[in-house]
Amino acid sequence: MNLIDRLAQSITWPRFLFALVLMFFLTSILFPFYWMVSSSFKNYAEIGGREAVYIPGALRLEAYRELFDPNDPHYWNFGSNIVNSIKVAVPTAIIAVILSTLGAYAIARLRFRGKGFLLNGILLVYLFPGVLLIIPLFAMIARIGSTLGFGVQDNLPILIVTYLAQTLPVALYMLANYFRTVPAEIEQAALIDGCSRFSVIWRVTLPLSIPALVSVAIYTFMIAWNEFLYALVFLNSRDMFTMPIKISMIFNDPTPRLHVVMAASTVMTIPVVILFLALQRFLTEGLTAGGVKG
Amino acid sequence: MKQQNTWISFDRWGGLQARESRLAWMLISPTALIVFGLILFPVIFSVWISFHDVTLRNLNDVFHAPFVGWDNYRNVINDFAFKFQGLRQWGAAVTSVVYSFVATALTVLLGLVAALLLNRPFRGRGTIRAIFLFPYIAPIVSVAFVWRWILDPRPSGVLNDLLMRMGIIDLPKAYLATRGLALVLVIIFTAWRYFPFAMLMILARLQAIDGTMYEAAGVDGANAWHKFRHITLPELRYVLGAIFLLRLIWTFNKFDDIYLLTGGGFGTNVLPILTYQFSFRAFNFGKGAATAMILLGILGIFMLVYTRTVMRESE
Repeated sequence: MNLIDRLAQSITWPRFLFALVLMFFLTSILFPFYWMVSSSFKNYAEIGGREAVYIPGALRLEAYRELFDPNDPHYWNFGSNIVNSIKVAVPTAIIAVILSTLGAYAIARLRFRGKGFLLNGILLVYLFPGVLLIIPLFAMIARIGSTLGFGVQDNLPILIVTYLAQTLPVALYMLANYFRTVPAEIEQAALIDGCSRFSVIWRVTLPLSIPALVSVAIYTFMIAWNEFLYALVFLNSRDMFTMPIKISMIFNDPTPRLHVVMAASTVMTIPVVILFLALQRFLTEGLTAGGVKG
Repeated sequence: MKQQNTWISFDRWGGLQARESRLAWMLISPTALIVFGLILFPVIFSVWISFHDVTLRNLNDVFHAPFVGWDNYRNVINDFAFKFQGLRQWGAAVTSVVYSFVATALTVLLGLVAALLLNRPFRGRGTIRAIFLFPYIAPIVSVAFVWRWILDPRPSGVLNDLLMRMGIIDLPKAYLATRGLALVLVIIFTAWRYFPFAMLMILARLQAIDGTMYEAAGVDGANAWHKFRHITLPELRYVLGAIFLLRLIWTFNKFDDIYLLTGGGFGTNVLPILTYQFSFRAFNFGKGAATAMILLGILGIFMLVYTRTVMRESE
């Protein structure tokens, strides 16, 4: 039997269809990401020319220089925006993990009056659109701020608090589900040995829950890192912008700077993708368990 | 639940139950405070704002804003950006409903196809599943701007370049600035971005289906289509319904995707964007809040119809 025959035999209709659909999905998913990274290495002429450039002529760093090099005439000072994003996303993740650990422990292990009401109230969060919440939040914080003497705008801690409100409910559910899988007998043994509740949580439950804690941290980090609407409303001066707002500002520059937008997008996307790939197994479970809002 | 707590009753201290309850509230109060203070209270406050004249002028003294009754609602309903004025001018309300239903249906459909694709084992399945999740985990700003760049109106935009090379179009087109087409593209983008969520949920359910059912059907001479139609679909029904509802709510509430793609222009203005425009472009917070309340009302109707029909059927 020659090669062609063998090949023809191994290609059946279902297999062909399978490969075709798979290719369709893969191209439509990967092409935009290829286009983002490759465009970030193009120069101004390649972006605005008469034809699309599929492979940049060289690994040009023009766009990255514009973002990071203070000597560039178009310098965007993107480094400060990266710092702002980190300043918002890291505290959000840390505080969310701490608070949701405490809350989730109570939900998973303790009996208390009003638990059902509390859980339903927290679930309601899924229903309310961000744009609905942002008007009263803005008015509320403006009012509190004018009494206590802080501004609503360009105030990163305010952003952190609003992100916490958005992420805590899911974090709570993810962790509570996980805590239920930790056998209660281990904790009871520790309690009977004379440990206090807090030392039980600290020495028994938490070490057993590290995968869940890591996925909650990454998940909240990603939400804060990617968030657009609240940052758009609450941030006003370009020094305080988080990356999404700065990228949208570069996009709206009167001279088209798409290579710079793509470079900035690449810088913003890579950490997220790396974090995701590194912790894929935990995160995928979390995504389905919590029904992550997005 | 019951079993893990029985040991407590053997404790020699009285009032342990109360102590446990106190501890629980102590543990959960920071979370509860943030969530209720920043979500549930604002929702109630939003209702209040929608009946008052709140603008940038009296924002610092918002609690003394004048009461205006249903004026804000009347203003929204009569606004040209909101109301339906025939097939060429849908208005934000109708656009929102059409957009979220079609986009959600397409999202769930793509998610189903992707899940069926990845359901049986093959080499590299883990990697491919990870790649399939990329659109969902990548920052919205990055993916939205890549899509805008792909759909760029200049001849250097990829889609223009490809279609012109293939001779399908002669001149470059401004895809996102064409009425009708813009809405279709925004729907496709939404499905592209959110199908991985549906895929994950469906995949989890698919892997829980008892394999012997397929074997039995195979013995009875059922072909692949029959198996899908009579085993897989009925098994997935509940999860498909739940995903549809969840995604419908989120799509209906979604601001960023359309805002970043078209800014709400060219027949893609939806209620969340209109809310934003009234509140933070025109700084008429009362009108914005009224728009948001109308949005919430429509959402409530969806939920009601859904729980009355789909949920009841599946019982």
